[in-house]
Amino acid sequence: MLKRLRSSTLSAAVAAALLLSLAGCGGQDTPPTSGEPVALRMTVWTGNENHLALFNSIADAYVAANGDQVSSITFETLPYDEYTQTLTTQIMGGNAPDLAWILEGSGPEFVDSGALVDLKPTLQAVEGYDLDDILGSALALWEKDGGVYAYPFSNSPFGILVNTTMLTAAGQPLPGELLASGQWTWDKLLEIATGAAQATGKAGFYVGGYESYLAWQYLAEAWDAWGAAPWSEDGSTCTFTDQAMVDFMTWYHDGVYEAGAITEAGVRADFYAGESALTTAQISKVAGLDGSFEWDMVPLPSGPAGLQPVIGQAGVGVLTQSDHSEVAADFLAFFTNPANSAKLAQYFPPPRQSVLTVEVLGAANPLLTTEQIEAVVIGQMSDAVTLPSHVKFAQVSDAAKIALDGLWTRGADVTQVMGNICTAIQPLLGS
Amino acid sequence: MVSAATPRTGRRAATRRPSGRPRSAIRRRDALVGYLFIAPQLLGAVALVIAPLIAVLYLSLHDWNPLASTFTFIGLDNYTKMFSDPSFLDSLEASGYFSLGLVVLNVTLALALAVLLNQKLPGTTAFRTFFFSPVVVSLVAWSIVWSFLLQYDGGINGFLSAIGVQGPNWLRSGPTAMASVIVVQVFKNVGLNMILFLAALQGVPMELREAARIDGAREWRVFRSVTLPMISPTVLLVSVITVIGSLEVFAQIAVLTGGGPGNSTTVLVYYLYQRAFKYHQFGFASAIGVVLFLIVLVLTLAQFQTRKRWVHDEV
Amino acid sequence: MKSETRRRPRAIWPKVVLYALMAVMSVPFVFPTLWMILSSFKPQSELFRKPPALWPERWTVQPYIDAVTTQPFLQQYWNSVYIATLVTLGTMLFASMAGYAFARIRFPGANAMFLVVLVGMMIPSEVTIVPLFRAANALGLLDTHVPLIVIPMLGAPSVLATFIMRQFFLGLPTELEEAGRLDGLGRAGIFTRIALPLAKPALSAVAIITFLKSWNLYLEPLVFISTKTKFTLPVGLTQYQDAYGELQWNTQLAGTTMTVIPVLLVFLFAQKQFVQGLAQTGLKG
Repeated sequence: MLKRLRSSTLSAAVAAALLLSLAGCGGQDTPPTSGEPVALRMTVWTGNENHLALFNSIADAYVAANGDQVSSITFETLPYDEYTQTLTTQIMGGNAPDLAWILEGSGPEFVDSGALVDLKPTLQAVEGYDLDDILGSALALWEKDGGVYAYPFSNSPFGILVNTTMLTAAGQPLPGELLASGQWTWDKLLEIATGAAQATGKAGFYVGGYESYLAWQYLAEAWDAWGAAPWSEDGSTCTFTDQAMVDFMTWYHDGVYEAGAITEAGVRADFYAGESALTTAQISKVAGLDGSFEWDMVPLPSGPAGLQPVIGQAGVGVLTQSDHSEVAADFLAFFTNPANSAKLAQYFPPPRQSVLTVEVLGAANPLLTTEQIEAVVIGQMSDAVTLPSHVKFAQVSDAAKIALDGLWTRGADVTQVMGNICTAIQPLLGS
Repeated sequence: MVSAATPRTGRRAATRRPSGRPRSAIRRRDALVGYLFIAPQLLGAVALVIAPLIAVLYLSLHDWNPLASTFTFIGLDNYTKMFSDPSFLDSLEASGYFSLGLVVLNVTLALALAVLLNQKLPGTTAFRTFFFSPVVVSLVAWSIVWSFLLQYDGGINGFLSAIGVQGPNWLRSGPTAMASVIVVQVFKNVGLNMILFLAALQGVPMELREAARIDGAREWRVFRSVTLPMISPTVLLVSVITVIGSLEVFAQIAVLTGGGPGNSTTVLVYYLYQRAFKYHQFGFASAIGVVLFLIVLVLTLAQFQTRKRWVHDEV
Repeated sequence: MKSETRRRPRAIWPKVVLYALMAVMSVPFVFPTLWMILSSFKPQSELFRKPPALWPERWTVQPYIDAVTTQPFLQQYWNSVYIATLVTLGTMLFASMAGYAFARIRFPGANAMFLVVLVGMMIPSEVTIVPLFRAANALGLLDTHVPLIVIPMLGAPSVLATFIMRQFFLGLPTELEEAGRLDGLGRAGIFTRIALPLAKPALSAVAIITFLKSWNLYLEPLVFISTKTKFTLPVGLTQYQDAYGELQWNTQLAGTTMTVIPVLLVFLFAQKQFVQGLAQTGLKG
């Protein structure tokens, strides 16, 4: 039986090897032909008709003006959950798009690996682009060695969404008042969340994005106010064991298991369905509120290390593997120039100071008051930091998550779990 | 043994037709037709399965990061790295646990349901449709619905607390997470196996069971010593299909547990997916793919090998 | 006499027990689908309400309207239908040919070739998707339906069909075919005139299994197709987002319901033949 197996496997292998040359190694790109107008393709993760209509109108204007260079521009929607996976598969298969949205977490990996083209020369050369108009804090994630590798088209600060109906019913003070009187702190937030949870039997507070207890980087919305960080700035040393992080995790753990104010792992307390009193969120989320309760939006509270605004970002860049990277970069410069930035600001808070105004944002977010936009968006933008990121973000964050899961039981030892995290991720960071 | 049935058919033909004449011309023409008949399937298998598999083998000897456009030959480094990676060993263990649990539960339940339905009570058709219906639902939708039901304050714990039991945090605590994934998967697919068993049961001649019963055998004895041996080939087939399917579990893990808590539900395919599409270590992921393929191959061959011991021969 | 005394009490009680057992067992099979269907008539905010309610408080058909209008849903529906139909027909043809040859015809190398084919059953699609993607790209087949038809029809997913057909033909008595041969039919004639008509039940089983597999295929369309109007349903269903990119659960559930119900109805009507088909294959290992 073994003999038969061996010979048949062998014959199969020989036959397959013949086909391999056809199947495996054929993905060579044809060299770009100069002179003819090219078709550009940009991958995005939004499937929203309004977004796509806006993109198409900008693209049409560009094609109309540059018909000799570009024949068409298509926007290809990839599902958000598999976005980076699908993009990478396309790159691997030799079918990279010309431009692509890049998720914040994978930003450093794309920038560092050389997958993106340096846009700075193009952006500087285009008249009226005004690169200096873009906030330095917004560009930080996408810069390397003086180059700019993506344009951060979306910069949405995190704030606190408040179910004022629930807090009032529970007899708790409202965050808006606390903010006005200078008492808006994380401890105070936990206090009113505890009160609301006890009075209503619903959930008090959860960190938006971390309600599933999978993507721990969203905890940075809170821990930045403790001055905590997962690793050193250069990304080489684990800092989960630092006192600031231990303090924050102790606070959070107590909030879950002692105070009963923060939702536990495996509990889905949807703020938008009225199941939770407080949550962190970006302004775009208010669109999900259907008026079944009164709400407010306030900036993030201050913590032991003061106040630290946090933003979530998304970038758009040109891929090195594109056959038409020069044309693509030129289109990107058009797509994000001051006039078009103002249009994009309807849906994505812009990184440009000139369009970061109450008028532009107010028109785009009619549900928010002028005060809310001032406080949550404009006031926070210039000092804001982004969520944690790393060249090996996916791998490091998975490794940390596995160890962090050990914290989510009653009576877990915070110091020990933090030590476990560093043991798990330091080898990845160091190399 | 995995074999085309030719020798067996031949043996059967020979026993049935002891006076068979040599028919070499026919046989030669036959062989030609045989090749023609399998040609599409064989070419498909070679071009769409074997060739990509060999490409994967080739890739597994390289360090390939498509983002950085690096592609360097590194020999067996990926394999040495893999076997010294504790999370690889963990994922092997998780896969073993998952597959064993799934196969045992799935095959037992499928058989039990088939026996139930085979009682031919009026109204059985409705129940048959009920049990089969999840097979039709998309896997992702099925997993999402169950993730709602299994969450800590979800429907199942709501029901349990109504009868005075505090349910566990199903998907978030070590012991119950894997069990939940297994059970959800069993409900999803047991219907197909049930139908296969039902079909086999309906092929068991009534007279045989009646005969055994008249001999005074109890119901359970009749099942064990008459029915089960008769359907043992189906049990084998179902087990093989289920084992292979169990090693491919992916979407349900992604939706229900994301591989956690810790990495307790990170099975081999999920580990492969992470390495390839999240960490962009394609060479390494290819090496995992090769190992995964070898495991399935060995398991399948082993199952066919042991058939002689427990499968009632079909001839 | 003895056996009759044992049988009498079986008359009522076991029946009640059996019905109760089946009814209880049905719950985990039926409830999730029921929840899905009812939830597709809820407004988004009601979906996550605590405690979870099965019955919608405010019925709405808006999710169904959204499902059809915000995505090229009907086009995607057609894509799924025609791809699954082609895959099913092709698989029935090629799998029955190969299954027949492996079961009946003696030719050198049959074992090795069967093993080659069988290997296909053992490879998760995640393993080979990258080489297949490169091949499709080299042949200019990306963003076309060709890979979605050819791979399931001739690649790994079709192997189970070949296996089932082979098992069926193994179980078929040879006498009829012998008779055909005596009547002067060649091998191809025996196959098309005698064996294939007898194989209807097995073919119907293959048809259902193949159709479902193609209908639910997710990874391949996700990777190979990039234009919305060319998507198949499983990928199309992941695209329901509101103005801010948030997933619209109720619309997704409405879309899913519309993809599940027709298939369920087809099974309801075809199930007798389906089960009998499998029964007659015998499916002997």
